[in-house]
Amino acid sequence: MIPNRYQMKNKLEDVTPTVMSLKADVCVALGASTTVRFEICLSEALTNVVKHAQPTTPDELIDVTVQETSDAISVEIFDPAGAVPFDLRDHAHDLETIDPLAESGRGLGVIMQCADALDYGPSGDRNRLILTFIKAIQ
Amino acid sequence: MIHTTFYDPNITVVRPGVERLTAINAKAFKEDVADLINGGATQLIIDFRDVAFLDSSGLGALVGVLKKIGHRGDLVVSGLNSDVQQMFRICRMDRVFKVYSDVDTAVQTMAETQ
Repeated sequence: MIPNRYQMKNKLEDVTPTVMSLKADVCVALGASTTVRFEICLSEALTNVVKHAQPTTPDELIDVTVQETSDAISVEIFDPAGAVPFDLRDHAHDLETIDPLAESGRGLGVIMQCADALDYGPSGDRNRLILTFIKAIQ
Repeated sequence: MIHTTFYDPNITVVRPGVERLTAINAKAFKEDVADLINGGATQLIIDFRDVAFLDSSGLGALVGVLKKIGHRGDLVVSGLNSDVQQMFRICRMDRVFKVYSDVDTAVQTMAETQ
């Protein structure tokens, strides 16, 4: 049974421990190949929230929940309270066409490429990014 | 942060010195390698043997040092594990960097082409 709820501080230092916990909990269900994409995707997504969301106060937490179905795992990342809505689908650069010598601007494209499905929108009083990964065939 | 080893002729092997090169330490990595370049290093091998994970910020830092060295020298990478290789492929960085399986091969090839 995969734990359902995770919570992290709005700090870069908290990204890796959160990603590692999530990875450890989903790796069996996802299989090795998808787990690599999962780790990359979650690392980029959580880093993006920490770097760019501007919550009401710095202490606002980032909530992460995991939903498991028979064929997929979906991770919901809730922006901290007060953050301006940011739909990365409107801002992501195509990794095929981005300047190869650009030093930034790949993260959103990486999220788009690594998740099997992606959605973003309001949920209650906050906004939520949903990243879905198809489970490995058992 | 970084660990350096020097080989003749003027080849510098850099190990990032972290298990995960990410947004939290990419800037320090870039600054450390830039200091090496400012100090005269022109033939650089970034050895990822001990790096388990790399994110887009880490790749951005790597691109930054490649641009800094520019036409003054060469920068190649070695020792990518399968996860880091996949990140290179996702970001099309396998088209930008010369990649060697291990640091010894990289040193030998770089020495032969000078």
